[in-house]
Amino acid sequence: MKNKFNVSAVLAAIFPFISMANSIDGVVVNQQGKPVAGANIEIEGTSTSIKTDENGEFKLVNLNVGDNKIHVVAKGFAHLHQHVEIPENGLQQYIIKLNRTPIEVIDVQAAPVHLSIMESATPVNVIAGEALRRQQASTLGDSLEKLAGVNTNYHGNVASTPIIRGLSGPRVLIAQNGLDVGDVSRVGPDHSVATEASTAQQIEVLRGPATLFYGSGAIGGVVNVVDSRVPIDKQTRGEWQIETSSVNNKKLGAFNLTSGAGSLAFYVDGYWREADEYKTPLAGEQETIANSAEESNGFTLGSSYLLDNGYFGVSVEQFNREYGIPGHSHSTEESAEAESVFADLEQTRVQLLAELTFDNKWLNKLNVRASASDYQHAEIENHSVGTLFENSTEEVKFELLHNPLEKWNGGLSLHYKNSEISAQGDEAFTPPSQSQTFAVALMEEAHFHDVLLQLGGRVEQVELTANQLLLPTLEVHDHDADSDGAHGHVNEHQSEQNITRVFSVDQSFTPVSLSAGIVWDFLPSYNMGVSISRSQRAPSASELMSFGPHIGTRSYEIGALFTLVEDAHGHEFELSNQTIELETARNIDFTLRKTQGDFGFVLNAFYNQVDNYYYQVATGLYAEFSHDHDHDHGHGEEEGGHDEHASELPVYLFKTDDVVLKGFEAQLAWQVTNAFKTSLFSDYVRATLNSGGDLPRTPPLRVGTQFQYQNAQLSAQLDITRYQKQDKISDFETATDGYTLVDVNVSYDLPLLNLDTSLYLKVSNLTDTEARVHTSFLKDLAPARVGILPQGSVGIFNVFAKYAEKYLKNDEKISRYLSEKLG
Amino acid sequence: MMKLYRLNLLAVAISTLLLSACGDSETTIVEKDPIQTDPDDGHDHSDGYLIESAGRLAVSVADSNEVAIYDLDNNQLLQNIAVSFEGGALSYSAGFRYATVTHRGQDQVEFIDGGLWREDHGEHLHDYKQAPALSSYKLMGSRPTHLVKHDGKLAVFYDGNSETGEVSSVEVLSDTDIANQTQSLPAFSYSVNMHGVAEPNGEYVFASIRRDDALSTSANKILPDQVGVFHLHDDEYELDHTFVESCPDLHGAAQNEEVQVFGCSDGVLVTQKDGSEFTSAKIANIDSLDGLRVGTIYGHEHLHSFIGVASQHGGGEALLVQINPEENEMDDIDWQPLTDAHPVSYAFSADAEHFLILDNLGYLTILSAEEHDGHKHWAFDRRVDISQQDVADMPDNHSFSMTVAQNGHFVYIADPIARHVLKLDLESDATSEFELNVLPKAITWLGIAEHEDDHADEHDHDH
Repeated sequence: MKNKFNVSAVLAAIFPFISMANSIDGVVVNQQGKPVAGANIEIEGTSTSIKTDENGEFKLVNLNVGDNKIHVVAKGFAHLHQHVEIPENGLQQYIIKLNRTPIEVIDVQAAPVHLSIMESATPVNVIAGEALRRQQASTLGDSLEKLAGVNTNYHGNVASTPIIRGLSGPRVLIAQNGLDVGDVSRVGPDHSVATEASTAQQIEVLRGPATLFYGSGAIGGVVNVVDSRVPIDKQTRGEWQIETSSVNNKKLGAFNLTSGAGSLAFYVDGYWREADEYKTPLAGEQETIANSAEESNGFTLGSSYLLDNGYFGVSVEQFNREYGIPGHSHSTEESAEAESVFADLEQTRVQLLAELTFDNKWLNKLNVRASASDYQHAEIENHSVGTLFENSTEEVKFELLHNPLEKWNGGLSLHYKNSEISAQGDEAFTPPSQSQTFAVALMEEAHFHDVLLQLGGRVEQVELTANQLLLPTLEVHDHDADSDGAHGHVNEHQSEQNITRVFSVDQSFTPVSLSAGIVWDFLPSYNMGVSISRSQRAPSASELMSFGPHIGTRSYEIGALFTLVEDAHGHEFELSNQTIELETARNIDFTLRKTQGDFGFVLNAFYNQVDNYYYQVATGLYAEFSHDHDHDHGHGEEEGGHDEHASELPVYLFKTDDVVLKGFEAQLAWQVTNAFKTSLFSDYVRATLNSGGDLPRTPPLRVGTQFQYQNAQLSAQLDITRYQKQDKISDFETATDGYTLVDVNVSYDLPLLNLDTSLYLKVSNLTDTEARVHTSFLKDLAPARVGILPQGSVGIFNVFAKYAEKYLKNDEKISRYLSEKLG
Repeated sequence: MMKLYRLNLLAVAISTLLLSACGDSETTIVEKDPIQTDPDDGHDHSDGYLIESAGRLAVSVADSNEVAIYDLDNNQLLQNIAVSFEGGALSYSAGFRYATVTHRGQDQVEFIDGGLWREDHGEHLHDYKQAPALSSYKLMGSRPTHLVKHDGKLAVFYDGNSETGEVSSVEVLSDTDIANQTQSLPAFSYSVNMHGVAEPNGEYVFASIRRDDALSTSANKILPDQVGVFHLHDDEYELDHTFVESCPDLHGAAQNEEVQVFGCSDGVLVTQKDGSEFTSAKIANIDSLDGLRVGTIYGHEHLHSFIGVASQHGGGEALLVQINPEENEMDDIDWQPLTDAHPVSYAFSADAEHFLILDNLGYLTILSAEEHDGHKHWAFDRRVDISQQDVADMPDNHSFSMTVAQNGHFVYIADPIARHVLKLDLESDATSEFELNVLPKAITWLGIAEHEDDHADEHDHDH
């Protein structure tokens, strides 16, 4: 042994290449043996990775002798996991053959275990690149709505939140680079999500319980918007786009740029968008949707310090959006000048991201993610602030990944989050509250021959405090026929004095989530997976402590801490003495996939039983709500018009019940020829209460097809999506007719100034269909003038360009090696 | 963020994981004192969260950029706040939450949050109490001069500057705008500079207009001679109407719920929005003014008449007149001044029962409205000696100053000689004092204004 060592040391001194003995070089090719450029080869469980050059060649150095597992990712190809035995003198001219897949596979970034549409036990969708640019909309839900299992709660073009397998609101977590977005979009459908798709690099969707990765708020799923605001390399690249659309006169400009010098990398992005009220295919008064204009802008600056073993960096983002709230305008028939209600949203977000790899026996990598965000959103009515929502969130996540332990890869995650949310004004239906979460989670995966096992567990400590929980005396009445048509004020007996009871509330929850998944490659090119999980969620402040009018949902909301008591005198709200339970979901997912070849598919079926599901129950009572606008002087002709504002709202009380959600998603794609591809997707969810009845705003069955033609420069897609009628409805909603949407995209690539430039033309709703979105809160508004998807005719025109320094080497030595080798 | 007790939480979390694999929850609810509200109020708004407080007093200091904020509940200094420049003019915002400091020469207005304010939460009124602080919000514009408050709105008139070619402009804002740091306020600007004034009124602003010098009837051309109505459309005001009646050498203005009045060299211009019509009239100067003109006018939203002050420029003897737009009349008010008494400050009491005249000799003259033949007339009621000091000792460039509390019947008077503040109860004439650590230049009251009909007011005048 000793001799051998000496010899190799001497040789290393003479021949520098020999010092890289435990290296691997080779070429990545397709099934026809043609080289694949730009494929990424990663040694699993390490941070060693390299991209192939234009000849498909690669070289990786400093590898451990013995068994290495490589993960190869290339656009248009199935991901490849392969074991490679590296001998002591290295491995040369190793050939990696990739198999085509018609379903694009993009990994979820920065997860401690592998997550992708084809490989993981948990179902995921990732949308990136040109597909993202094609589908991006002004709001997040609308950007994602063509993904299987994801719907939008379409809020008249100005706000929308994704619905994942029928769940939304406090059950779907929205993240930016893995950190809570820190807005108030979980509280109201008219509150826009504080993220932007036009500057994003990819958007990841985790369908089904994802509390393991993100905690309590992710019991229904996660949407993570990823960009490279903290750059991890200094390769100069960028993207710009301009876009306009006819239906709402939208104008969009966006760019992002990454570059660097020395050890520093820089990132900047910015966007600006303006859209007018949008037109619908209907005639007359509903031709345009009043108050659906929007204006947004934002920019992000980031910088990072690149180390040999990682990076650390910070970014600052300023996000501004001003949008009308359709259905929230107080126009009267007589008055031409509608009082527009609009929201003015502002957020400053600082993110700190770091990754360090270690040369340590046990530890492999540390990931640090931290953010501080300050959010404010004012609802402005007739030039004065009606309600002011604020959210200040700080969050930090440490992820400690270990070196492969036997066959296991994975790590421990520590997570702290503090959110302070308040609302002041007309719609301050929830008292100011603070929520603190501390969590520890463990996630591991291992390959045993053709079986992948993924396991995880997480325990959280959630503290929810509010010092001013208010229980006012609420005058409610029912609409019983026997009360002479008059409003019976049912609590008159006790109104000697109006008493508002005040409480301080301290809730402490310990949700525990466990998950196990298995993926078995039972045949070449095929795999099947089963994932079972038990996830828990602490109810949110608004679900527990609300007591007030919520115009976004047109209801008077009362939280689960309260209960309705009925006695001889009438109805009264009291503090509930029921224990506040954690919501617990037991979910099982089946997946069957054909991962490669000209035909591919992914089929998912799920059964999710949620105990103590928090939802709103109509009490049958109504509360007077006078929506007053203080500064309404001078409208002499509007005499008496104020009665228009005084309205009554139905009283909804949060309760818990057991719920079952079941459904499926199917995605099939067939690469018919090199140029022509056709794909089909379908999704369905049925959400029923154990006590009988259906949950509201559940998306209907969808079936969609896409025909795609692509040659070197031209690409065209025809999308036909059928939304079935939804008649599985809750007591207080109406059925919604089905409709078929036809969309066409054409894009043409032209090399312009050495940029990959594409011109897009997109026509949405080609047939001018009247499409009412069942999942939208605005669908039922009378007159039904909103919640109708924009008309077609001429759609969106987009120019999109990308620039990247191609095939940048991450190592000088390798570049020298390659230039010598290639002559 | 990662304090030690977090680590304890971690320990708790891990042990919970080890001990039980099921979730747990615990709720602690402690009832606090309830909020009781008077059922007579008849408004659902009133079951709110109210704070009892006498308010706060902002005191500006001469030859210094400091403003001291005192707590009027215990007369203690809360905070010294440094504004950007010395010598700014101190006043209050439309909702009495903020002190305004106008730096005319430096082209900006700063705001100090007094820390006491009320919000209407629909279900209830909600009062807030915080430490005073300088707001980072500033208004920038050329020569901000007259700040006029009415019904929750503050109109700032920027005079502009002929030397630099900057024109006049007007911005309108509420306390909420200051709180939210509203970046783009509803505003309008002129094509010339002038020493003008703007009266905010709902979605309208009644403001002075300076015509071309060749047309202007003003002797001093920097003074406007017309009044126009500006109407808010999409965050910008547009000129809706110009009153034909001119107002030469316009200076001084006030409004009540019905009309706006403007001081002119030939009388007082009265303007009005009557339904969808705009009308104007001129009340001619009376002989007893003897060549003087009304240059300052005081009004109160609960009064039909106004009080005008005519004096020589730069102080001196002051003639007071009552202006009655309903009868298109102007009358003398005999306030029975002492010899050599020159008023230094005027104000209505919060309930509009009295008009107060503070003079350089250290007396507060209190006028009350008397009724004769169905006409209300302001007349001398009494005089309170508010300083035991020899007024000859008054430091240079200083004077007594006063401010009226909007939540009771108190008036506060700063005495630079004694370096104290005197609190006078207008119902009993009882006084009390508290010492100041500074030499007061000007004072202003901040806090939560209590109108007996706070809410009724809004309802009544909503249309």
